[in-house]
Amino acid sequence: MALVEIRSLTKQFRKGDEIITPLNDVDLDIEQGDFVSLMGASGSGKSTLLNALAGIDPPTSGSITVRGTDITRLSRSRLADWRAANIGYIFQMHNLIPVLTAYENVELPLLLLPFSAAERHKRVLVALEAVSLLDRVNHYPRQLSGGQEQRVGIARAIVANPTIIVGDEPTGDLDAVTTEQILDLVQRLNSELGMTLLLVTHDPKVAALAPRQLRLEQGKLIEKGREVSIVGSDPHERSA
Amino acid sequence: MFRFAPYVFKSLWRHRGRTLLTVTGSAVALFVFCFVTAVQQGLERLTKDKQAERTLITFQENRFCPASSKLPEDYARTVAKLPGVKGVVPIKVFTNNCRASLDVVVFHGLPTDQLQSARDLTLLTGSWTEYAAKTDGAIVGQAVANRRRLKVGQKFTLGEVTVSVVGTCRSAVPAEDNFIFTHLDFLQRARGKNSVGTVTQLEVQLADNADADALASQIDAAFHSGPVATTTRSKGVFQRDTLADLAELIGLAHWLGYACVGLVLALVATTTVMAVQDRLKEHAVLQTLGLRPLRIFRLVLAESMLQSATGGALGIGIGMILLAWGGFSVGAEGVTIAFQPSLDMLVTGGAVSLVVGVLAGIVPGWQAARAEIVTALRQA
Repeated sequence: MALVEIRSLTKQFRKGDEIITPLNDVDLDIEQGDFVSLMGASGSGKSTLLNALAGIDPPTSGSITVRGTDITRLSRSRLADWRAANIGYIFQMHNLIPVLTAYENVELPLLLLPFSAAERHKRVLVALEAVSLLDRVNHYPRQLSGGQEQRVGIARAIVANPTIIVGDEPTGDLDAVTTEQILDLVQRLNSELGMTLLLVTHDPKVAALAPRQLRLEQGKLIEKGREVSIVGSDPHERSA
Repeated sequence: MFRFAPYVFKSLWRHRGRTLLTVTGSAVALFVFCFVTAVQQGLERLTKDKQAERTLITFQENRFCPASSKLPEDYARTVAKLPGVKGVVPIKVFTNNCRASLDVVVFHGLPTDQLQSARDLTLLTGSWTEYAAKTDGAIVGQAVANRRRLKVGQKFTLGEVTVSVVGTCRSAVPAEDNFIFTHLDFLQRARGKNSVGTVTQLEVQLADNADADALASQIDAAFHSGPVATTTRSKGVFQRDTLADLAELIGLAHWLGYACVGLVLALVATTTVMAVQDRLKEHAVLQTLGLRPLRIFRLVLAESMLQSATGGALGIGIGMILLAWGGFSVGAEGVTIAFQPSLDMLVTGGAVSLVVGVLAGIVPGWQAARAEIVTALRQA
């Protein structure tokens, strides 16, 4: 059984008189330790798929099963608990809480989990060390550069050791040099720490870093240029 | 919940100008609420306490101002003989102002040997011996003493009456803290008074089993055909009738208290709504990180309660201190209402500010908790 199993996922919403279907009967499997990039044109539904997997945008129909739990059946409160324990979300615009220091921002997800203060402290420092920001623990977001803010955002995403880390255009707001630093960091999360990653991007260079590259076209998932019934279900298909 | 306390405090501090204005507004409103409550409680104390029910006041019929009520002093002996009467105190009242005033000074002249038994007074400075020895000696209630800065050894003149302050006192009845107690015969003989043998009122203390209404009728019947007819009422009714005009105003002020509560509610709710609208995206981020909608609701509620409670604590605290030290009162026709702090006021004020904080946070908290995460995240 795959870590993530998405089956017949459909998302529709109304825009004026028109019904938009960004996701149409999508199937996808993601294995533990996968690093998946998801590309697509603007409005193709890639962020919708990522948000559905992150449990913040409920689908119209279909199922998303993560480690045996179908998250589409969870109530809002249980879904929130599930996100706290299983999802690390890296935003494009960092979205740090401006009144909290880097340390406090990274500590936020741990406040929702049953960790002691000492354990929280240890984990926050480990996460900040992983993104090379130990010298900025008491800095507020306004005192950090864009790249540093994004590294704090990554530390916040990994601090609780979630089941899967999702990133919505995590380098979309950064310059070229900072983008490289962030991508290097993201790659290390996967290669050195074995974290499962799903990155949404419109940049082919960023997408190329991921061993698995998916594309959303007209509501359908395509892996390596061809549509498949269940993307990722057969490991041999991926390397084909 | 307490794990998020730094976030709540820092969020309020982020817009400290707005927060301080809200807290100040809340403090001012609760301060006014405190004063209104103090006035109401003062009036209730005058009209509803046990002493007010078990004491009768005999006044000259159809007279309301103490200056115009002139009862023969020997009426006291007649009343004292009636069954059910425990004691009678003839009192001469002299005041600087019969109309409603915030700085009423009221002299109560009582027989020297009856002052200590008829009044529950605690001497703060001076001595009873000196009071008994000095013809023009006066024991000054603490509220007047504070307001007029009177100390033992000073002379105090009001109109044509000049007394020597020989002591200051605290009374078990707060309204009496605004009185100056003198010897009855001194006040009767004071220059310009020319009222030897007459008193303003008789204070009739009832025996435990006496029927107040029946005894009041009996007293009035006894003097109906005498040189001066009387009206006798319980002390509570007498004070309420005397302060009838003021009581109406105080009844109106009651609504002012409710208006203050409404003001705090509107103020805190406005601030909380603005804070939530400013932070829709931030709350969506918190929900993405795993905060339950209910927790977001509670965070918003905590912010609104904190502002309301802080303002409330400030307003109530300053109000209580001023009431305790200011010795404020309002009086008319020689009867005064003392504004005093009370535990009841503290509890009511505290509860009002907390409840208002909760009410003000419910709608914005609900909005924050129910916001669609993805839609809110797309906000600039």
